[in-house]
Amino acid sequence: MVALRFLRALSLVRCSGPGARSPSYRARGIRRAAYACMAASAGPRRAWSRALLRKIRRRPGRGLRRPRAVIRRRRPVGGGDPLEVALRRLVPGGGCMEYCRLLEEAADYVKCLAMQVRLMQTIVDSASHVNSID
Amino acid sequence: MKENKFVLNSHGNGCEWQFNTAAMSQMSQSPYLSASIGEGFSPGHWNHSTTTSTLNLGLGESSATVNSIPVGKPVAVSPREMLLSTAPKLPHFPVDSTFIERAARFSCFGTGNFTGINFFGSSPAMASSNNEGFGAQIQKDDLSENKAVLLPVDHESFNGSSMKKQGDGNSQISVSNGESHVNFPEDGPEGNTGSTDVALDSSSSDLGENKRRKTALDIDKDQVQGSLQFLSQTTTENIQNEQKVEISSKQSGKNGKDNSEVAKEDYVHIRARRGQATNSHSLAERVRREKISERMKCLQELVPGCNKVTGKAVMLDEIINYVQSLQRQVEFLSMKLAAVNPQLDFGGEGLLAKNLLHSHGGSSSATRFSPELMYLQAYPSQHTLVHTGISAMASQSDTFRRTITTQSTSGYKESSMQVQQMHIPWNEELIMQMVYSANPSNPHMDSKADGFAI
Repeated sequence: MVALRFLRALSLVRCSGPGARSPSYRARGIRRAAYACMAASAGPRRAWSRALLRKIRRRPGRGLRRPRAVIRRRRPVGGGDPLEVALRRLVPGGGCMEYCRLLEEAADYVKCLAMQVRLMQTIVDSASHVNSID
Repeated sequence: MKENKFVLNSHGNGCEWQFNTAAMSQMSQSPYLSASIGEGFSPGHWNHSTTTSTLNLGLGESSATVNSIPVGKPVAVSPREMLLSTAPKLPHFPVDSTFIERAARFSCFGTGNFTGINFFGSSPAMASSNNEGFGAQIQKDDLSENKAVLLPVDHESFNGSSMKKQGDGNSQISVSNGESHVNFPEDGPEGNTGSTDVALDSSSSDLGENKRRKTALDIDKDQVQGSLQFLSQTTTENIQNEQKVEISSKQSGKNGKDNSEVAKEDYVHIRARRGQATNSHSLAERVRREKISERMKCLQELVPGCNKVTGKAVMLDEIINYVQSLQRQVEFLSMKLAAVNPQLDFGGEGLLAKNLLHSHGGSSSATRFSPELMYLQAYPSQHTLVHTGISAMASQSDTFRRTITTQSTSGYKESSMQVQQMHIPWNEELIMQMVYSANPSNPHMDSKADGFAI
């Protein structure tokens, strides 16, 4: 699932113009595509995937944001534990969750992240392999 | 007569102890306490009116002593006759938990003042001599009682206190209520008679029962609880631990096993384990703590090399480090892909689809769906898909290069495509789910995947 999305996204990134953009720009695009694919494949049921997609879709300077009645901060938990605060910052959308939920989301996020990394690694490996063959 | 009256009152009103004296009203609080405790027991085990009568006996005894009425002595002398005489008179409780409540009240009453009641002892001989001591003790206990066990499961306290309360009546009670489950289980060091052991076992079986939310008696219990809320909850835990220690190891071992085996349900039915506080707050906290530890265990499995790590802080640190390293890896790999990609062709999404379809004879119905769906139908395992796709790409790099050049002229903007891509996902999810439902062989989206989160 993730593979399909990611490959598709990669192809789109390629399509934008291999020579038109700098590698760093492309890298950023690829990174964003990676996160987007990851979040999209995880599904809307996950808080982190929703938050991640929201973050990606929200392009800076896109225009006036409609003041939607989005209850973002339900309960900003008092961060007494520095570890917990760090985890909240790492996991997308982790600022509003309860600790229990945070751990759950973190587990899912870690799982998806690991999968994404493996996928990208495989692509890179095969790409380099293909290149080496040629 | 008075004892009978007490008994009848207690039974007739279902936990309404109508004592005449103030001291007795103090006493009345304890039955409520125990009732609140016993409320969690299932009625099935508490089906003996004799037990209720014994409880009443105890109450009558204590109340008598409170009043410094020598009624206690006759009670102590012939509890058996009392039992036999009162047993038939007592209406059979539809809710045996009333009795449990009372017993629990007794227990908690006694529990709260172990030291105070200790000298009551279990020996029957002491009872009569201690009748007045009872009264004094009881008063003292009432005054100093800050150790109410409010929540239902409080077997240890119940056992201990009820035992103490009964004092002299214990042996007779146990004899008469050999089968009753609620026999006041003894408190360990006080002297375990065989009957009390039996009672303990039976009562320990009650440990496996859940606390019922609201029954008719709960209302009474709530009322009592409300009045007794001020009674401390902090010491309950200590008391619990005390009792746990006191109770014989055999029973505790058995009970502990039972407790751990039986699953704890969610907020509707919560079972407090042996030796743990049964306060509502602490129960909820315990549930929460267990949820957290469960999640930590899941995380531990996910993060490699964390099996030996113990402790939440270290585990959290490891998790944070792992997440950070994964994110860094994504960044690095994306940079690498950006560098490598111009040489690699990914333009063959459609080509891939075509190849795969040709190789696997995709169904015509799949043409309605996007290529991804066709992939999914053809390849339940994403793992193989990636490899196949990449190998296909690799094998047809020449073709792809040609397609790439053609596709590069499409003029798509990266950003817009990305955005479009973003809008698609959720709809695709629905379609995917449709596909999945059609193909049960495909792993479910939420189920743990073979390395791929679907």
